[in-house]
Amino acid sequence: MKPASSIKSTKVIGAALTAAAMFLPSAKPAFADAAPERGIVAFKYLSYRDSQPDVDRININAYSVRAMTPIAGKWAIDVTGVLDSVTGASPHYYSFFDTVSGASKLKADTRKALDLSVTRYFPTGSLTAGTSYSEESDYISRSISLQGSVASPSKNTTVTLGGSVTTDTITPNNIELVDRKKIYSALLGVTQVMSKNDIVQVNLSRSVGEGYYTDPYRPIDNRPRHRNYTTVMTKWNHYFESTEGASRLAYRYYADTFGIRSHTFSAEYVQPLPNDFKLMPSVRLYSQTAADFYVPVDPLYAPEPPEVNFDGYYTLDQRLSAFGAVTLGLKVSKKFADEWLVDVRYDHCMQRDHWAISGKGDSGLAPFNMDFIQVGLSKEF
Amino acid sequence: MKKILIRVVAAFGCLTSITTMSGCATVQPWEKQNLAKPEMTFEGDKLDTGYTEHIYSSKEAASGGSGVGGGGCGCN
Amino acid sequence: MIIRNRKIIRGFLLTMMLCVGASSMALAVEPGDKAPGFELPGQQGNVTLAEAAGSVVYVDFWASWCGPCRQSFPWMNQLQEKYRASGLKIIAVNVDAKSEDAKKFLAQNPAGFTVAFDPKGVTPSSYGVKGMPTSFLVGRDGKVIFRHLGFNAADKDKIENDIKAALEASK
Repeated sequence: MKPASSIKSTKVIGAALTAAAMFLPSAKPAFADAAPERGIVAFKYLSYRDSQPDVDRININAYSVRAMTPIAGKWAIDVTGVLDSVTGASPHYYSFFDTVSGASKLKADTRKALDLSVTRYFPTGSLTAGTSYSEESDYISRSISLQGSVASPSKNTTVTLGGSVTTDTITPNNIELVDRKKIYSALLGVTQVMSKNDIVQVNLSRSVGEGYYTDPYRPIDNRPRHRNYTTVMTKWNHYFESTEGASRLAYRYYADTFGIRSHTFSAEYVQPLPNDFKLMPSVRLYSQTAADFYVPVDPLYAPEPPEVNFDGYYTLDQRLSAFGAVTLGLKVSKKFADEWLVDVRYDHCMQRDHWAISGKGDSGLAPFNMDFIQVGLSKEF
Repeated sequence: MKKILIRVVAAFGCLTSITTMSGCATVQPWEKQNLAKPEMTFEGDKLDTGYTEHIYSSKEAASGGSGVGGGGCGCN
Repeated sequence: MIIRNRKIIRGFLLTMMLCVGASSMALAVEPGDKAPGFELPGQQGNVTLAEAAGSVVYVDFWASWCGPCRQSFPWMNQLQEKYRASGLKIIAVNVDAKSEDAKKFLAQNPAGFTVAFDPKGVTPSSYGVKGMPTSFLVGRDGKVIFRHLGFNAADKDKIENDIKAALEASK
């Protein structure tokens, strides 16, 4: 049973790891009106694995390279490429009854993504145009975006406005299907210097999507063809003069038309140490409610699927169930001569159904853990 | 849906007005030594953020919030 | 609920406008204005604008933590060297709150021109400096010829040409 289903479930995760929020032109810091002084070349390796008790693990190895350079003090070009590959079995509870055939159609479980952006800097702001492309055997995603920032004369307030259009093409390996998904997003943000040690950012974003949201690798899955969501992101960075360290707090509220609400809180603290070392411990708390059409595990039938009303929308995807998660992380970086920087980061994330603060969790789901390590090397020039 | 939107707009309005009101205590350009430190910017390590946001958006229902654009995701 | 929200938004917009208004009201020295005088501690004794009277003075406000400022130092060294004989004097006013930071910077980036220290920020305030670095070119008559915000490679030629013109015009 395992081998066939595990390869296909792996694909689900592969598809899951498509570009997504990857290379968004994020709302810029306080000095959005100045072109970067230096260019940068960076490389980063990611090793990811997840697990559930007594279930095989999935592994992802990813490599990304970024090059950014200022041009004539007024422009900046930023290019990022990513290559990732997925191996191993899915840890997912529901993969046990994956009965779909067609595993032989699978191509390599790799994803290639490219992201390009060009920014023009003006005395009072900046304008960024970006495009991104991501490809795997069953999923192609294309996106274009435009974002502008305007700073107040004091440079203490920056207002950011952005928009993007994303078109995805889905061609599952297991069924004869070609479908699309189109997503329009808009962002409004304000960055404000509060004091010489505090800076705050509030981003409001709205996304409207239409198309194929169903998971083709799940035999019992039927989702609406519309999904709109709204997020409010608040960030606050504070500098401690006593320790010369900085805390970085963020809170995000998310609500979508699947009926999911979520809260994300994250806290990081960056402490510079002697010899150009920096230490960054972090914690992240997450909690979500279930989608309206999520069908919980029925202990009577488990591990067989619960009874489902096939008239409406339904999913057994645990990612659309109610749960909470806690991540603990640590990042260490060291700067060497000639602007070389080496960094290593480790995160351990635990997902538990009973940590859902905004709804009752699905007690039929097994605990789920993720471990990821990143190793980076970069040089400014 | 409308209710959510109103709540969101209200939250945004509140936060930004608090923000701007206290922002009136203007910080001068020559007082931005601490704000100029890389850890005080919101951008951070781009490749790190890329991986991290990616992992979470594929393992959780929520995504987005810090920017616009980017490729779509077959996740959920 | 909706009414209250509207009020909040209106309040938010109003405060925002007030803020922007208030901050842009801070007086900035414009070309044609008399350059505000100053007397500040330097590397060797006090530095005043008055003692440079009769020269064309390039007043540069900089900080140790500002990247473009670092880039401007070698260029200002060249500039001072090249136009010293024609009567150019560069005074770089450091605005670090801790002058030790500035001294550390100067150890790595030696300055072949006059450096003054203003940890209290009185001078940049009187000049209405809007960003780091900002420079003012003061003519032999003590009046400001131009103001320049920021520094990057693209600015070099333009600034140098303006300086050359000022040196020639007032010979």
